[in-house]
Amino acid sequence: MEELFELARKFLAEQMDIDPESITMDTNFEDINADSIDIVEMIMALEDYYEVEFPEEDLEDYPTMGSLVQALYEFLRQVHDEC
Amino acid sequence: MKIALDIMGGDFSPSELVAGAMLWLNESDGQIILVGKKEIIESELKSYSFDSARVAIVNASQVIGMDESPVTALRKKKDASIAVATQLVKAGKADAVVSCGSTGAQMAAAVFILGRMLGIERPPIVTGIPGRDGKLTLLIDAGANVDCRPQQLVQFARLGRAYASGVLKIDNPRIALINNGEERGKGNNLTTQTYELLSEQKNLNFIGNLEGRELFSGKCDVAVCDGFTGNILLKTMEGMVLFIAAYLKQEMGKTSGVLSRFDYTQIGGAPLLGVNGISIVCHGSSKREAVCAGLKIAQECVANHIVDKQLKELAEM
Repeated sequence: MEELFELARKFLAEQMDIDPESITMDTNFEDINADSIDIVEMIMALEDYYEVEFPEEDLEDYPTMGSLVQALYEFLRQVHDEC
Repeated sequence: MKIALDIMGGDFSPSELVAGAMLWLNESDGQIILVGKKEIIESELKSYSFDSARVAIVNASQVIGMDESPVTALRKKKDASIAVATQLVKAGKADAVVSCGSTGAQMAAAVFILGRMLGIERPPIVTGIPGRDGKLTLLIDAGANVDCRPQQLVQFARLGRAYASGVLKIDNPRIALINNGEERGKGNNLTTQTYELLSEQKNLNFIGNLEGRELFSGKCDVAVCDGFTGNILLKTMEGMVLFIAAYLKQEMGKTSGVLSRFDYTQIGGAPLLGVNGISIVCHGSSKREAVCAGLKIAQECVANHIVDKQLKELAEM
């Protein structure tokens, strides 16, 4: 999960032109002014990296970086187990 | 030239959209790609005679409604008409996409599918406000981004400059910041910070603040604001024009030709700037004349290579 978080943080920070160190697992997306487009672009970048397609998520269910990373990690683990 | 038209978006889809496409075909030499539910489009086309070599249909089985969260809906509905139409531009199968549907979905499709230009955080909508002596003042952002950061407004200024010089052929366009006063230091946090950033920009003819009432004066070529302000300005103008037209008709038995310059059915559509492709946003209640006018805006943007012009402007930032 550490790798996933580091990547997600890197992608989001690049998109938003902010210091990656300002994003932690506890970071609330609203607090860093990340909107749905920012979040989905980050997810799309992770999809390209991992060559998967994450299930359509209701972004309102994942208000923090940690909650979203956890959900994406669970999916990746499931895909890995199925392989 | 091929333009992809999202047939499923808007209050009067599909009939007025198809009618608008047919009007445009009669007035241009381009080709149209009608995107939406195939059976619906085929049924509409039965009423028309046209050169079938100039009309193509691409099926899209889903539609994003105006009441849906645009980004979530776009993720879930991969076969949504706006996504399919935008994908055609991405793939080089169409030169532009035009839609009367959800602006949020169209913007999200443009961002996710066409991609943002380097240096652009959010694509703004640009529209022309008629003013004195027949001149247009470009308003940017006219409603795509309701919450903005100062640096985003600077980006809008750059894109507006590219459009003013590239399409309207204005030399060294004058850029102003919409504000509640002319003096430096006026406004809210957003405008006071943006003012300073714009003042520091090289190669940008920033002339300062502009009050709303000066939009028609011809004092500037590009008026910059956040999408919330821009949309309110536009809708207020629309309402005022309708009011004056009704008043004139009541009092004098006729309206004035000058008011037709504010008629959105004549203007048609507004380009979304800052993305790697041409996407034209049309009013949700567009009927055939407005749809045709929107297609003409797309045609003009293609002919003027507006994407290249924006990229060139951004490279100079």
